Amino acid sequence: MFLETTPNTYNYMVAGYVISFLTMGIYVASLYIRARNLRQDEQILEELQKSDPKS
Amino acid sequence: MQSKPIALTVLDIVSVIVLGISTYLALVFAPTEAVMGDVQRVFYFHIGTAWTGLLGFIIASIAGIAYLVSKDMKWDRFGVAAVEVSTVFFFLTIVLGSIWARPAWNTWWTWDPRLTTAAITELIYVAYFMLRQGLDDPEKRARFGAVYTLLGGPSAILTFLVIRLFRSIHPVLTNAAEKAQETMGMTGNMKVAFFFALFAFTVIFIDLIWHRVRLGSLQEKVEQLKLNASS
Amino acid sequence: MNPDIFTPRDTARPSFPGAVLAIIQKDLTAEFRSRELFSAMLVFSLLVIIIFNFALELDITVRKSVAAGVLWTTFAFAGTLGLNRSMAVEKDRGCMDGLLLAPVDRSAIFFGKAISNLVFMLIVEAIVLPVYALLYNEMRILQPGFLGVILLGSIGYIAVGTMLATMSVQTRMREILLPILLFPIAVPVLLAAVKVSGGLIAGAEWPEILTPLNILIVYDVVFVSIAYMVFDAVVEE
Repeated sequence: MFLETTPNTYNYMVAGYVISFLTMGIYVASLYIRARNLRQDEQILEELQKSDPKS
Repeated sequence: MQSKPIALTVLDIVSVIVLGISTYLALVFAPTEAVMGDVQRVFYFHIGTAWTGLLGFIIASIAGIAYLVSKDMKWDRFGVAAVEVSTVFFFLTIVLGSIWARPAWNTWWTWDPRLTTAAITELIYVAYFMLRQGLDDPEKRARFGAVYTLLGGPSAILTFLVIRLFRSIHPVLTNAAEKAQETMGMTGNMKVAFFFALFAFTVIFIDLIWHRVRLGSLQEKVEQLKLNASS
Repeated sequence: MNPDIFTPRDTARPSFPGAVLAIIQKDLTAEFRSRELFSAMLVFSLLVIIIFNFALELDITVRKSVAAGVLWTTFAFAGTLGLNRSMAVEKDRGCMDGLLLAPVDRSAIFFGKAISNLVFMLIVEAIVLPVYALLYNEMRILQPGFLGVILLGSIGYIAVGTMLATMSVQTRMREILLPILLFPIAVPVLLAAVKVSGGLIAGAEWPEILTPLNILIVYDVVFVSIAYMVFDAVVEE
């Protein structure tokens, strides 16, 4: 058995996992928001084309 | 926008599940490492993100070659997706490594070849996005992006090789690092958590790339619509 | 009209080396008339060295260990200045379109531009090195081996730099983008060059500098070949 005590590095571990989930969460949110904005643009542009078919 | 394929929905659910299992394995199932304590548990996510980050950059180089040969925009969408997801994962790798290094080596950062190469690779891909941002023509953006990923790959390999030569300047830290690695013998349960993290992050990586590729197609469609509307 | 005027000899594609030489000649003639680029690079290099002198407190002991780093940083900065200017001139005066219309291989354009950029960088280095040697009494940087390393490092740096400058002048950010694109890619060539030249200044044994020297050569070969293969893709309109 180890005579030296295991250092208490619990806080670092918590920080590591909080940052991991936060970063992945932010990335997924950014994907979602970008997709939503694009879909809105798409709708507006398609309506524009329908209302003004000559151009 | 085409409706979301069922396979993607399934993959989304699987990703969330494997992420949950991997977190459980890393935080609860694996034993506490005796020398470094709880902080060693970030190592599982660190290695998972590092592996997928590297994989993404290799995929991006291959997609770059495929684009330059075929001039098919689907390769560009794929390449961008791989670089973007990898950049996020690699950022995590560096941050987690730094969090691990603080209690283990008593410093947030060492100029170790692996760390330095990771940081420079990350900068290459940040530059990649700045390059793309400065170009309006989608075709030119794809071409320049492909060329840049092609230059980035060999450069990252050579960076790693050359920085290893500078190790002699920092003997104290690298020795400490080697010692830390030696003592990091993994027990059976640790290995389970380790390999599952690799698997889980690969699944999540594929899922995110798929979403990013779809976003790319949507972007392209909207750009096309805008062109039609303005003409 | 004499049909002999249009003999195939006049309209034929110029040979590859001929085209490369023509581009080099064009750049050098233009530069030796204006001397804009050259004087800017040179004055800039000297200023950087002066700033380093005070920023690093270059006394006798420090000097030996950082000389290689100071020199290569100076060359890298001066190099981006030259690369940006040389490509921006082509773009702004519409010369690039003219070059692309010429019936020559696109890679001949690359080699022409790269070699003339290299010549400018080497001329600047040829003046900066003796000045540095005089200012700091460091005559070892004038030995043939050291000059060879300067040449090898400059070749790799300029090959990648010419590629990336061609790309960056076509973007919206133009000059600002080149160092951001170039420096992370050029890290291995700069570090290997610093390692070899630092070793030479310190009087290191041959085996000690062999590995970085090999990396330097590998970098040159790999990146000159990549640039040769994909240059087409960055000039296509």
